[in-house]
Amino acid sequence: MRAGRKSAVAPAWWFLLPALALLGVFVVWPVLRAAQWSFTNADLLSPEDSRWIGAANYSDLLSDPRFRRAFANTALFAMMVVPLQTLLAFVLALWVNRPEPAWRWLRGVFFVPVIVSMPVLAVLWTMLYQPVQGDDTGLVNAAIRWLGIPPQAWLRDPSLALPAIAFMSVWQGVGLQMMIFVAGLQGVSRELLEAARIDGANAFQRVIHVVVPAMRNTIIFVVTVTTILAFRIFVQPYLMTRGGPGNSTLSLVQSVYENTFISQDLGRACATSIIFLLLVGGLTMLQRRWTQEERG
Amino acid sequence: MPGIIKILTFQPSRTFSIFVVMFLGVTLGSGCSRTPANDLSVIRVWCHQGQEAENRAMKAIAAAFNAAHAGRGVRVDLTFFPDFQYTEKIAIAAAANDLPDAFDLDGPLVARYVNANLLLPLNAWFSAADREDFLPTILEQGTIDGQLYALGGFESAVVLYYDRDLFQQAGVEPPLPGSAWTWTEFLAACARLKQHGIEPVALHMDESADEWYTYAFSPVIWSGGGELISPDGTTIGGVLASSQNVQSLTAWQQLFSLGYAATDPVDPDPFGNGKVAMDWTGHWMAPSHVQRKGDRLGAMPLPRVGTESVAPCGSWCWGLSRESRHPELAILWLKWVTDLHHGVTPIVRANGAVPARRSAFALFPQYQETPYNVFRQQLEETARPRPRTPFYATVTQRFAAALRDIARGAPVEARLQSAEREIQRVIERRIPNPETPR
Repeated sequence: MRAGRKSAVAPAWWFLLPALALLGVFVVWPVLRAAQWSFTNADLLSPEDSRWIGAANYSDLLSDPRFRRAFANTALFAMMVVPLQTLLAFVLALWVNRPEPAWRWLRGVFFVPVIVSMPVLAVLWTMLYQPVQGDDTGLVNAAIRWLGIPPQAWLRDPSLALPAIAFMSVWQGVGLQMMIFVAGLQGVSRELLEAARIDGANAFQRVIHVVVPAMRNTIIFVVTVTTILAFRIFVQPYLMTRGGPGNSTLSLVQSVYENTFISQDLGRACATSIIFLLLVGGLTMLQRRWTQEERG
Repeated sequence: MPGIIKILTFQPSRTFSIFVVMFLGVTLGSGCSRTPANDLSVIRVWCHQGQEAENRAMKAIAAAFNAAHAGRGVRVDLTFFPDFQYTEKIAIAAAANDLPDAFDLDGPLVARYVNANLLLPLNAWFSAADREDFLPTILEQGTIDGQLYALGGFESAVVLYYDRDLFQQAGVEPPLPGSAWTWTEFLAACARLKQHGIEPVALHMDESADEWYTYAFSPVIWSGGGELISPDGTTIGGVLASSQNVQSLTAWQQLFSLGYAATDPVDPDPFGNGKVAMDWTGHWMAPSHVQRKGDRLGAMPLPRVGTESVAPCGSWCWGLSRESRHPELAILWLKWVTDLHHGVTPIVRANGAVPARRSAFALFPQYQETPYNVFRQQLEETARPRPRTPFYATVTQRFAAALRDIARGAPVEARLQSAEREIQRVIERRIPNPETPR
């Protein structure tokens, strides 16, 4: 690109302007305002009466057991979901990556939960996870009982609720990552695969030594996006358990919501979301540093 | 690919979306939606969206108001907002100094809005004589520190409905009309029903709104002599997890531990469907229960843990915004919507709630009969509004969470203590609101 040419620079700014303006109004400015409020005791119902209180919101949050729990739950959820969902999506992508119409149809099937609205799925899975009551139970318990495993109170047991929600979330989201992997697979060189086969590599070796290196950028992309999405967990636990039992499925986003609209403590809510932003931003940067992307 | 990653990294999260919406409210709200207020005689009114019939009735009430006041050049501009985001809408409008002249609000939130200095006192416009016709509970709900801030046209009630046939099958005797069972009697009746293969009682633990739990089960706490929060609404430590409350909720927990009530019901109306003998629910189920059960339907006040039965109450009510530039006109709307003929009668006909004016009962003959007679009796005698505290939203959220866990077997005292600690922490953070009006 010949960036020095004046005639090309001026129009470029004009083309950028709408995007920059929108980003400024809807992202940069809100973030700055939130950052500013996070150092005040602003009340949602009368934010202009607020007073500068330094980092008190932050120190209060870090010592609050409820916030720490939300933090721990969210991190644990991400640790469960990210590896599982990425691996499963990759395996599914390898499986459905065939040109015949039947496989295309199967790809569609795996993608359906991504399109269906989350509240609907939350209600559906609450029914599937129903604990045993008299002779009635949910489908999940019926299925594992058939396998000889004793039924569980999935969403009602503090140690099972978060894994149960994580499982449901993987099921819901895996189709999206699968599609990205399927797209990435189109870029894997056929000649290379063919050569590996002739050299005697079996299917597993071809995946590990040819497909995975070729899809490096796609994998980094999927892991990054899945991590961000996992940290944003809110709707499933909020609708299925309201953060309970105890605080075992309380998420970071739920604590932002509570601070904003329930206790209406705007300063603390902003501090929570700034911590959330730094956390996700920091994680993303770390991931990218650890897994240096190859730039084509 | 790197470009895509970059964009996705900065994709606004849900958190930001909330704030973007808030900022939109702050910036655009104050700009665009003010236009009608320039016209001196337009009263801006906001209302939460109820069922279809209720909305239609509210529109008709507004239309009648406009017709009646056309001569004076006064009219209301009524806007509905979806129920599930109405409270958020009010909060954002308050933050943006863009509240309408009058708006409806849920009863337990009055204290918070008064604390945030959003509401005008109504005492000057409703004389003692005007107030006499209103049920004591609706006045109490809207009164903070001796000043009336909100008033509504209807009330609510929760009773224990029962099926006389199923009772007879199990040999269960209902209490005398108008009186409540003790908790021991209640449990004994449940045991008999269960012995006869009848599921005893529905408590609707599948209800998604937190408010159901506080609304329906606070009476268990109150009848046991306990409180949710100190009377001044600022101390919860030692109040919520008091020994009386532990006792009362242990009694309540037995309904679940003994298998008398479902912790995870699937059927939203098992009583109407004939599967359960008793139903712990509100006035809103009365028309359907009366229709399906006919003479088999009985109703009694809620069972008591201590010496007295207590009933819940409270509903949506109307307040005037402190920002209103024409409170003397806005009050006309408030008077209209709480007026017996113009407001109360049409809205109660539409939403089936209990009228909040005594004179209205004459217009609704069903209040002579079961279960409606029980509604009125308990609103006059035994009903108690939920705690009037600025921290109500937090109290109800955490108390509801505790009740859900207790029903599913959590240790009562420890669970109440953890709720207590969390709520107290929120209370202690809140700055005292400056007294100066904005």
